[in-house]
Amino acid sequence: MSEKRRGKLEIIADILKSIQGKGGKIKPTHLLYKSNLSHTKLKEYANALLEKGMIEEKIVKGRKMYFMKEAGYKFLLEFERIKEFSESFGLD
Amino acid sequence: MVFESVPYGLPSYVFGPKWFYGFDSIIELIAVIVSILLVFYSYKCYRMIGEKKYLYFSTAFLSITISFMAKIAGTFSIYRPEITRTQLGSSVHQAFTSLTPYDINAIALVVHYFFMLLGFMMLFLIISKLTWKNQGAIALLLYFVFLATWLSIIHYQLFYATSFVLVALIAYSYHQNYREVRSERARFVAIAFGIILVSQAFFAFAIYSKTVYVLAQLVQLLGFVYLLIPFMLIFRKPRKDRLK
Repeated sequence: MSEKRRGKLEIIADILKSIQGKGGKIKPTHLLYKSNLSHTKLKEYANALLEKGMIEEKIVKGRKMYFMKEAGYKFLLEFERIKEFSESFGLD
Repeated sequence: MVFESVPYGLPSYVFGPKWFYGFDSIIELIAVIVSILLVFYSYKCYRMIGEKKYLYFSTAFLSITISFMAKIAGTFSIYRPEITRTQLGSSVHQAFTSLTPYDINAIALVVHYFFMLLGFMMLFLIISKLTWKNQGAIALLLYFVFLATWLSIIHYQLFYATSFVLVALIAYSYHQNYREVRSERARFVAIAFGIILVSQAFFAFAIYSKTVYVLAQLVQLLGFVYLLIPFMLIFRKPRKDRLK
């Protein structure tokens, strides 16, 4: 995790990368640990991502899980492109 | 070479040999396309991320785009004077009867000088991470751009000398950026500005030889092609493992 203060979009990208890193699905407790956010903040971001259709919530074997959706993968790809663009053109 | 002084002391220049008329405009059009791509993409980044640096970067390349378009329009009036006989051309000509193609060329050159220097100055400020809160310094640099434009009117070489210094600073910053990030794309950007720097040096001596102008244009073309490569590398077809 970057030592610099993360912006909103960086936090969203970190959350999505955490889900992607776990094969596209993750338990909320794992996500809390991996995203380095408080419980309240994570809930806020998860709700925003659910609203934007980037992730979906499903109950698997009686436990809540977050699943990455196509829009989430697309966001990550665009975010990576912007990061590459910023790095290349000295905007980082 | 056409070299004529028009009213208000504005000089009019066309450096290239006759056979090269229009080819330089095509090269400049390629530079316009590359600049516009950077304008649009950095503006898209600004809309998505909301950070001002992307908006400033977009504005810097918009300024460079305007500059090249002014140069194209200015030389076009001399390369193709028959444009004044077209319907649009004649109505423009009727509105500005006193303007000769050389006047248009001279005015377009001033626009070219100002926006090119402004664009390079902005680019330098962005990549050297100078804080925009320092309004006094920004005002001083803006004054410097106006002054450089004014001096460039007195002699065109002063414009290329100023742009050479600015591009040298930009190329050095991009070289530092490459040493920091060590990516292939950053290397292309650093090389691109290095090549554009060489083209500025050639342009400064274009008045002495038409061949030097042709060389300067070709080097400039190479510079903008190199600037396009990192942009294309970012947008290459996404690998499946990159998406999922």
